[in-house]
Amino acid sequence: MGGDKMALPQGTLDLLILRTLALEPQHGWAISERVQQLSSDVLQIPQGSLYPALHRLERGGSIKAKWGTSDSNRRAKYYELTARGRKRLQAGQSAWSKMTAAVASVLQHA
Amino acid sequence: MLTDLLFRARALLNRGAVDEDLDEELRAHLEAQTRKHQQAGLTRDEARRRAHLEFGGLQQIREDCRDARGISVVDTVAHDLRYAARVLRKDPSFTAIAVLTLALGIGASTTVFSVVNAILLRPLPYPNVERIVLPWRVPPPSSDVGFDEIPWGRVDFLTFAGESQAFEHLGAFLGAAFNLTGAGEPVRFDGARVSAGFFPALGIAPQLGRVFRADEDQPGHELETVISDRLWRDRFGSDPAVVGRTINLNGAVYTIVGVMPAAFTFPQSVGMPGSFVLPKHTALWVPLALSRGPRVRGEPSELAVIGRLTPASNADRAQAELDAFARRMEREFPQGKGWFNARVRSLTRQLAGDTRRPLLLLFGAVAVVLLIACSNIANLLLTRSIARTREFTVRAALGAAPGRLIRQLITESVLLAVMGGLAGVAVAWSGVEFVKAFGPSNIPRLTEVRIDPSVLLFAMAVSLVTGVLFGLAPAWSAAREQLIPSLNDGGHRAGQSARGTRLRNTLLVAEVALALVLIIASGLLVRTFTHLLAADGGFNPDRALTFELTLPSSSYGDGDRTVNLYRTVLQQLQVLPGVVSAGIGETVPMGGAGESTGLRIPGRPANGDLAPPYANYTILSPGYLAAVGTPVLQGRDFLATDTADSMPVAIVNAAMARKYWPGQDAIGKQVGLPIRSFNMTVVGIVANVKHLSLREEPGPEIYVPFTQKPWPSMLTMHVAVRTQADPASMTGAIRAAIRAVDPGLPIASVATLETIVDEAVAQPRFSMLLVGGFGALALLLACVGLYGAVAYSVTSRSQEIGIRLALGAPRRRVFALVLGQGVRITGIGIAIGLVLALLLLKAISGFLYGVEATDPATFVALSLLLLGVALLACYVPARRATRVDPLTAMRAE
Repeated sequence: MGGDKMALPQGTLDLLILRTLALEPQHGWAISERVQQLSSDVLQIPQGSLYPALHRLERGGSIKAKWGTSDSNRRAKYYELTARGRKRLQAGQSAWSKMTAAVASVLQHA
Repeated sequence: MLTDLLFRARALLNRGAVDEDLDEELRAHLEAQTRKHQQAGLTRDEARRRAHLEFGGLQQIREDCRDARGISVVDTVAHDLRYAARVLRKDPSFTAIAVLTLALGIGASTTVFSVVNAILLRPLPYPNVERIVLPWRVPPPSSDVGFDEIPWGRVDFLTFAGESQAFEHLGAFLGAAFNLTGAGEPVRFDGARVSAGFFPALGIAPQLGRVFRADEDQPGHELETVISDRLWRDRFGSDPAVVGRTINLNGAVYTIVGVMPAAFTFPQSVGMPGSFVLPKHTALWVPLALSRGPRVRGEPSELAVIGRLTPASNADRAQAELDAFARRMEREFPQGKGWFNARVRSLTRQLAGDTRRPLLLLFGAVAVVLLIACSNIANLLLTRSIARTREFTVRAALGAAPGRLIRQLITESVLLAVMGGLAGVAVAWSGVEFVKAFGPSNIPRLTEVRIDPSVLLFAMAVSLVTGVLFGLAPAWSAAREQLIPSLNDGGHRAGQSARGTRLRNTLLVAEVALALVLIIASGLLVRTFTHLLAADGGFNPDRALTFELTLPSSSYGDGDRTVNLYRTVLQQLQVLPGVVSAGIGETVPMGGAGESTGLRIPGRPANGDLAPPYANYTILSPGYLAAVGTPVLQGRDFLATDTADSMPVAIVNAAMARKYWPGQDAIGKQVGLPIRSFNMTVVGIVANVKHLSLREEPGPEIYVPFTQKPWPSMLTMHVAVRTQADPASMTGAIRAAIRAVDPGLPIASVATLETIVDEAVAQPRFSMLLVGGFGALALLLACVGLYGAVAYSVTSRSQEIGIRLALGAPRRRVFALVLGQGVRITGIGIAIGLVLALLLLKAISGFLYGVEATDPATFVALSLLLLGVALLACYVPARRATRVDPLTAMRAE
């Protein structure tokens, strides 16, 4: 690890999870590893906090879960994106881009 | 939305499986992370530690996941309940003591509340009962009539009723006995003669027919009757066409005009002043038919009055009217000054009356027991929560929120309270049955006592409030407990914190003090009861039978025939084998008050300041005094030779001899009655006989032979028979003897003198038993509390004790050390309790007889008893302390 780490902005964890699952179904540990990797270890996510978010998303119907076998041949709970989840991801991504662009332009011109 | 619902439903229905699911998922994560660190070269333990650190508080995350699933409320409550049940199951002795304590406390309070509810709180079944009042005549304060309420005279009642504005209806009534003859055995019924205003004042309509019209309440029209529901069922088989039928009462033919509803039995002697002779069960009512004529000299005052206030009026206005009336009458009749006063009392208050105070006493006793029970529970839970500090700190360290811990503790308390409450309801149910079975019959409305919804609500409220109260205190201190010190501490010594110990000791001292007050109160009541039993009533209740004879006025109307009949009856009874003596009298001892009369005493100064002489007046036959066992102190009993033609004689009681002839010999003195022109010579002085209560201070009483110009009528007389063997076994022979004289004579109220006395002491016995029971309960609870506290301190100090023993302290020193703790608490408690008892128990002096509320012997004896029992409670754990094995104790840490 090492280097400066950023705390995750409020509400963005769901988006990161959905984005990760857009590639392929994953289980909890793999999701946390993947988010860590993709963010080049800059974002700091307490691993435990992933699970309440997963359960919330599952309840909201954005993802669904089923038990499967992991690469290391162990039982693991796999989450996969649903159609609703895909829509939410797109909406979330465009909202995020708009917001970051807006914030960036304010910061540049202020 | 639908998925959300389905998800929740699945989670709810399948809670166990979902929880396992979550645990497995989280475990899988931790394992994967651990493996990752191991592959990076860490040892397994270090890898696991790192994985847990990176993961965060496992417990917290589990809770958050539950919250995320959105079923947290149901889920956590269920979880808390399951956990609480497990905790309580794991400590069965604690649970049993706590539930038992609560059950007894709640059960006792619910029982008493049920009784109070039925007798004091539940309204009487009369419409607008708050407007029904009884205006009683009251004697002047200087007189010593012996009663607080005295009857109205006919003319006074009619005058007042004619002009009163405050009352909508005003009725007069008096008790009366009726012989029902005709088909079958003659039966005597008690009833009442009532004026036209009586039924409207009470406001109850008949279920059949009608009540008396004003025009029937006049002399010459009174041969009509309204009967009770019971008489209607028993004698007329609930005949719906009973109205218009006739019945034969006292030899005259009465027409039935109405049937009252089942609940209507007014007037009854229960709860009413003892100076009025009222029926135990009222079977029928006939018109009073007061004559409207002028005042007759010597006319008896015998009316009770009941009134319904107008909606615009109130008790104060009625009282003002009565006062104004009294002033006017005093101006008209200055010689009767002071005897016209009346006081209004509400019917509700009257019927609660004498029972109000004993019930309040019980309420006080129960409040004390409940207080002790609650402080015991608080103590138990406090002790336990301190012992469980470590459990809580570990759970807090694992990430359980403080709120969650408090909720857990409250759940435990409430669960305990509910269990205690349910057990308490069971106790209350048996308690109510007990009260109904053993309560004295002179408590009005006792049969109406039952556990009703409001009582149940009361029990639940008590149990829940108790639960939350004693649940919160330990939860609060647990939540504030510092985590680290108590973890380092091992969690044991935290329990010895000075603050906690002081709180628990204060509770114990309070318990001991309250228990002492209660057992002293019950001790005083026990002594009162033994004094009452030993009290000299002026008669001998062993082997004496009494019953009532009522002669039909139609066949025994005039004095000579009555006298002859009684004479024949007595002759028949006296020759029965096994009869020692027999006599008739107007009353029997403890059988109620007789009539009072003014007296003429020649030679007594007619000083205006002196209250006119009066005495209780009773007609007797020879043999009566011997039959009831009243000793003749001086002179003689009446003889068969005292007849209408011989010298008029009288017997007086010792109180009368002392009152009117102080320092002189009363024998041979003259005394006259206002309605007779001649004087009687006193021939005997007898012991004072008590009439209403064994506590009473007997007043002057004069006895007149039944053969000398009897007044009033002797149509209803009591017969007393003293027997050689068990009096009850003579009943058949006595009945046969009476029937041989006149088969039409009904025999009523057959009772031994012993049962009459038993009934008279039933109330004090009942108070004594209940308060005594509560006293024993309080003592038990306080000692359980004491035992628990000392036992707990021995357990938590076992290491210290071990060290002391290892360093060579003698075992008896350790024993004294532990015992000393209990003795100190008990000593302070007893000191405070004694002061409290001195201050509080003045309130019960009205219940006491023959013993002062501050009786030193009772105070000392019961303090010693409490000290002894408390020492016993401390002895067991103190003995255990001396058996502590130093090695085991020190290793245990």
